[in-house]
Amino acid sequence: MVFRALTLATLVAALQLTGCSAFRSYDSELQETNQHLTSGNVDAALALLEQNNKSDDKDLLYYFEKGELLRSKGDYTGSQAAWRAADDVVFKWEESVKLDTAKYLSQFGSYLVNDKVRRYEGYDYEKVMLTTQMALNLLAQNDFDGARTEIKKTHEREAVIAELRDKEYLKREEEAEKEGVRTQYKDLQGYPVASLDAPEVVSLKNSYQSAFSHYLSGYVYEALGEKGLAAPGYRKAAELRPNIPLLEQALLDLDKRKGKASDSDVLIVVQSGLAPARDSVRIPLPLPIAGNLVITPLSFPVIKEDASTGLISEIQLDSSPLALTSLNSISAMSRRALRDDMPGIILRTSVRAISRGVAQKKLNEASPLAGLAMGIASVIVEGADTRTWRTLPNETQVVRVRLSQGEHLLSLPSSQGGNKIKVKIDRPYQVIALRVVGQQVFAGGPAVQVEPRVQAQAIATLK
Amino acid sequence: MFARISIAALTIALVSGCSTSSPVLGSKNIGYGDTKAVELVTNEFGSTDLQMIAESMTRSLAQSGVLHARPVVQVYDVKNKTSEYIDTREITTSIKTQLMKSGTARFASDNSDMQSQVDQLKLQNQTGLYKKNTVAKTGNMIAAQYRLEGSISSIVKRSSDYKDVFYKFSLQLIDVESGLSEWMDEKEIRKTTER
Repeated sequence: MVFRALTLATLVAALQLTGCSAFRSYDSELQETNQHLTSGNVDAALALLEQNNKSDDKDLLYYFEKGELLRSKGDYTGSQAAWRAADDVVFKWEESVKLDTAKYLSQFGSYLVNDKVRRYEGYDYEKVMLTTQMALNLLAQNDFDGARTEIKKTHEREAVIAELRDKEYLKREEEAEKEGVRTQYKDLQGYPVASLDAPEVVSLKNSYQSAFSHYLSGYVYEALGEKGLAAPGYRKAAELRPNIPLLEQALLDLDKRKGKASDSDVLIVVQSGLAPARDSVRIPLPLPIAGNLVITPLSFPVIKEDASTGLISEIQLDSSPLALTSLNSISAMSRRALRDDMPGIILRTSVRAISRGVAQKKLNEASPLAGLAMGIASVIVEGADTRTWRTLPNETQVVRVRLSQGEHLLSLPSSQGGNKIKVKIDRPYQVIALRVVGQQVFAGGPAVQVEPRVQAQAIATLK
Repeated sequence: MFARISIAALTIALVSGCSTSSPVLGSKNIGYGDTKAVELVTNEFGSTDLQMIAESMTRSLAQSGVLHARPVVQVYDVKNKTSEYIDTREITTSIKTQLMKSGTARFASDNSDMQSQVDQLKLQNQTGLYKKNTVAKTGNMIAAQYRLEGSISSIVKRSSDYKDVFYKFSLQLIDVESGLSEWMDEKEIRKTTER
């Protein structure tokens, strides 16, 4: 009887400590949401998101996803409102980091709680992309001054992140040394190491700086006539992605007189696909528990690529092809973030498993049933953190052209559904942003109009 | 009776004094700082650098003796050759403000103001909205005798426990008619951080 009570108490305590988020499978929730988005049914995707987030206490992820879905729908006001809420959360995080970095780092490095029961605070690249996407929302409505504020916030935030990570990596090295955990991700048998060591991941300077973000800031500052600020934007982008003619040209052209004054300088931004998912894999590792080496299965996150959308290499503008330059890949950034976090994840997971192993051994000696219950509870609780911003566009590609004012027609390759988009150019500087998911193209704002695809299909069937 | 009350009132007034400080609302953690305080939060370009550059350039230019009889100067953007987002226009605005306040020079509409200036002239002259005798006539804008231009560049070096940033700001005053450089100066700033 006493044993049974103990067993129950252990289970209840385990559940109480972890809360509901331990059972939530963010991956499957968002798979469904993204399916709706891929089929073009944004309203269903939004309804599902609301259904999955019924609690009053919404987390950062909810606002991330909601903002992106509303943006796809063309509801920029709603999208900005959702992202503003996300921005508040990130702002508070930023303040807490600036105020007391040491305290933040010691909390984050805590070995007691599993990563997935922590309150979601967003990956660094997500924080940078948030304000970049917000700037794109404003640019779709030709609000360059508003976009300037978001862009300034982006590079200021980037500086805060850079300083924090510098300190964090230093501290982590010291701690790994202290705890005696020397396992590296390369030692994990069966872990897809190659995806983290891919050239596009290793060549990134870090996980959070985006060449697109800096290029866009250069463009916005240039449009506002602030060349002194535009130059570092283009220069930073060129440093992050070396040997890309588009970036070097932007810097060279900054001081040149532009062609015909009546023409517009147009930046076409094509964002395609969806950010990769995070999944959990179990890998057995030998751990020293109470003096013996015990093979213990541990959970680690892996990146699962999205395959909804093929890569677009060019688009057609008034029936002449335009090659796109890729400036941002969330897949690479997300893998880089995981690569940089892996030592910390291995350290925390191992230390937690060792202490749990010791506790279970003691409990086993007192009551085998309670020991078993604790084992079951820890299997439920111990899984890698699979939360990540999933509706975020994966690839960002751009092309910059000088266009005469008036109407123009953009069309996507037929492999992407061959959508046609009518654009109205009426300003000296203008940003046209397209979002492609599967065969769907989403675009909004006063200057852009996506032509319905029904006609094309009708012609195809007539043939 | 009246005198007694008056004396009492007077005493109260004297005791309480006129210098009651304004009440402060809100948190104790927030305070106003000295805008001239040396700022060493990070070794990126900061407020102290901006003030140092502006002060040293203004002093040098004002004391150079080139600017006689408040000449008209056109300020160009300072070229930012660093990879840092430094608002160089803020530096030139500070220099401009200080020269203007000391009465050393006058300034023609620069690149950023020009559009508004032209728009206003067009509005007054072309719309027919304004009383004739109050309309600013076109063709009377004063052209600049000098132009002021410059650049800021940086050298950043980093090792595992050391970061060194060197900034060089240079500014020159050029006579528009002759194309001669009449004055030039530079300010160097070095900032190092040990981790």
